[in-house]
Parts: sequence; structure tokens; C-alpha cells
Amino acid sequence: MAFFQRTLPLAIAMVAGLLGILTFYIPVWEEFETRSAIWFRIVFAFAMILGIHSLLHMHWVKVRRQQSGWAYSAITVVAFVITLLFAAYNAGAGPFAAQNLKEGGLVRAYDHIYVPAGATMFSLLAFFIASAAYRTFRARSAEAAILLVAAICVMLGRVPIGAAISDYLPQFAQWLMDTPNMAARRGILIGVSLGAIATALRIIFGIERSWLGEDRS
Amino acid sequence: MERLLNLDRRFVYLVVFVGITLALLIDFKLPVSATANVKAVYDDIESLEPESTIMISFDFGPSTYTELGPMAKAILRHCFRKDLKIIAVTLVPEGQGLTQTILDEIGSEFDAKYGDDYVFLGYKAGNEAVILNMGQNMRRAFERDVAGTPIADIPVTRSITSLSDLPYVIDLSAGYPGVEEWIQFGEERYGFKLAAGVTAVMAPDFFPFLQSGQLTGLLGGLSGAAQYEHLIGHEDQAVSGMRPQSVGHLIIIAFILFGNIAYFAGRSKQ
Repeated sequence: MAFFQRTLPLAIAMVAGLLGILTFYIPVWEEFETRSAIWFRIVFAFAMILGIHSLLHMHWVKVRRQQSGWAYSAITVVAFVITLLFAAYNAGAGPFAAQNLKEGGLVRAYDHIYVPAGATMFSLLAFFIASAAYRTFRARSAEAAILLVAAICVMLGRVPIGAAISDYLPQFAQWLMDTPNMAARRGILIGVSLGAIATALRIIFGIERSWLGEDRS
Repeated sequence: MERLLNLDRRFVYLVVFVGITLALLIDFKLPVSATANVKAVYDDIESLEPESTIMISFDFGPSTYTELGPMAKAILRHCFRKDLKIIAVTLVPEGQGLTQTILDEIGSEFDAKYGDDYVFLGYKAGNEAVILNMGQNMRRAFERDVAGTPIADIPVTRSITSLSDLPYVIDLSAGYPGVEEWIQFGEERYGFKLAAGVTAVMAPDFFPFLQSGQLTGLLGGLSGAAQYEHLIGHEDQAVSGMRPQSVGHLIIIAFILFGNIAYFAGRSKQ
């Protein structure tokens, strides 16, 4: 049993990882790379099915046990089923025809529920940001004061009202983005990339095994 | 002073709501001028020969439509005006409906014919693997367009076998998969020029790629879209959106300053 639970997945991860790296550098294996990318897409599609199952299971259990907020879970399940039925009906063309993106229940639900709901959620950010900025953005130290001045300059310089106040504001905001921001981002990017390489190698060589459900490496 | 520091959040919400609503209702002009990064995208499209085929990847959903929708429309208007052929794809499932709507709207404005002037390949699961497959063999990544027509039979895609055949790709992205994946698995390997349009909060992340030349241009948020509308001489949703956005920024700055004044006044009293 340990072979299937541990050794085999580790071996698959190692072979797939090493082949992924090698095909990137050895052009003669291009066909293998094409095929492996297609396999990846198939696995990804199955992972989506698994994700849907997991989401529905979690919400269904919540509804059945009537845990707090179960009504939201019920809405999620009902919305999922309705959307799925609309997609399968496909404006009368059936589930095996190309998805109709111009008419039908799915398009109506998307245009009149999903799109406005998404825009509403995003627009609420303006209110939360205003409230959070008022409560937390304090010049308590020299560093915080520099951050505050930079933030105000960028906020003004990135919108047309900044140019209406002074021509220098957009230029200064652009300099802040081009120089200090870029230097910091580059440092973060290099650090994150090195960390990702190290983690990938640890997984490939079986040192990092948390993805198998094991607590310790 | 303590009361000022603990101002009821509903009051903050009310001020933001009133300010933004007034800015939406009252029409006033604000000067819009393009930054070098936005101008670079415009210049790249201008430099393409008419009839060139480019790809636009619509990797965003409804939640970021407010920022990226106007950007997509402005770029499409420019492309159709330049008589460029467009291949549209999306790497996110929720992007499919929006992309179709935007293409239909702008396509009809220019009497663009589906198949001859533009094509929509739809969504394929697989994130970066889809980009990789498009580079290796376009027809293995997308055998058919959204209407189910084989892409080998569509005039726009007939001669395109790989991403290498495209002179220019624009990624309009709101996260993952997005610009970084297009750089790693597309631009670096298949040698096309890549530009990006992203939400305002994401834009600072991509400045290193601009300096390295991996991105030729960048549009950031609604402001980037407004600058692009200004460049193409078609001021629309994004430019008018600059009024509420500018007022919103001013209100937030006013609250920050007010909060700091109250904080320091309270501290000096203590």
C-alpha cells in the first residue's frame, strides 16, 4: 500500500519534473513537450471537475446540517445547478454543440447577474479603501511618512486631476513607479523565483512531501 | 479628538458615495495625457502593416471589466481602424461571455466580418499549457473556434500555425493566468512582441518586464484605458470614468490627511 500511496506518486513527480526541465532545454524532445502540455491540460480539466465536486460537497453538507450561513450555500448549489442546466440546454442546441455565446439562458444569466454582481463587488473596494486608509494610514515614523507622501503623489499623479494640479505630479509619480518601485519589485521577483526553483527541486527529489499529505518533509 | 479618529465608517462611505455620484452626474473636463508605456502600445500597433494578424488574450472576468473592458474596446477600435486581423482567446472561463460581447460591439461599429477580420477561439482549460501548445501548434491548442468551425478553414487563422507567426500579442489580464505566463511560455520562446493591459493594482508588478524589454508597453487600470482612448481620438467610458476616479482619489487623500491631522493633534495634547 505504501508503494501506491508514497513511492509511486514520488516517482511520477520526479520523472514528470525532470522531463519538464529537460524538454525545455533539449529541442529534439519538442514532440514530447507538446504531448505533455496536452496531458497537463487534460489533467487540469479533471482537476476542475474535482474542484466542482469539492465545492458542491462542502456547500451541500452545510445545507444539510443547517450550519451558520447555510442559506448562502443553498444559493450556491441552486445557482450552480441552474447554470449547468442552461449550459447543457445551450439555447436548444444541446450539450454537445458549440456553446452559444449570443443568446440563451446562460448568456442572460451571465450578462444580467454575473457581470453586474462582479462589477458591484469590485466597486465596493472604493468604500473599504477609503475607510481603511482613514483609519490606518498614519505617519507614525519617518518611513511611514515617506510611504504616505509617495502614496499621495502616486494617487494624484496617476489620474488626470494630478496633471491639473501640477505638471510635475505625473512626472514624479512615473519616476516613483519606474525607479524605487521597480527596484523593489525586481528584488521581490528574484527572491520569489529563487524560492520557487528551490521548492520545485525539493518536490522533484522527494525532499518536500507535504503535497502527499505528509506533515513533515 | 478621539471621536474624530474613530469616525463612523458609514460617514466615510457616505462621503465617497456622494463624491463619486456627483462626479458621475456633473460633466467636467480633465486633461488626459498618455504616459510613455501607453504610447508604446499605440506606436507598436501603428507600426504594424495593415492586414497583419495579431492576438489579443482576454484574461479577465466581470469583476475587473470596469477597468479592462474599456481598455479592450479602445485597443480593438485602434486595431479595426488600422485594418488588422484579430485572433481573440481567453485563458479564464469567465472571460468567454465578456470577450464575445466586446468583439460583437466593436466589430459591428467597424462593420468587421467574423472570420475575415476577427475570430474568437474561446476558452481552453490549462492556463500556461495552452500558451505553450499555441506556440508549438496552434491547431492542436485550438482545433475549432467558438462557433465550432475548424480554424484551418477560417481566413484569419488559416495561415497561422504557431504563435511565432504573430508579430504582436496583447494580454489583457486580471491575474493568473496572465502576463507572467505569456512572458514565460509565449514571448520568451516564440519571439513575438508582447504588450499588456492590467488592473491598476497589478501594474507596478510589471515595470521590471518593461525595462527588460519583455513587455513593449503597458496599460494600467482605467487610467491607462483613458490614455489610450485619448491617443486614438475616441474618448469614451474610460475618459469619462476619470472624473469619478479622480474625485475618489481626492476624497481618499483628504481622509488620510484629516486622519493624520487628528492623530497628531491628539498626540500633542497628550
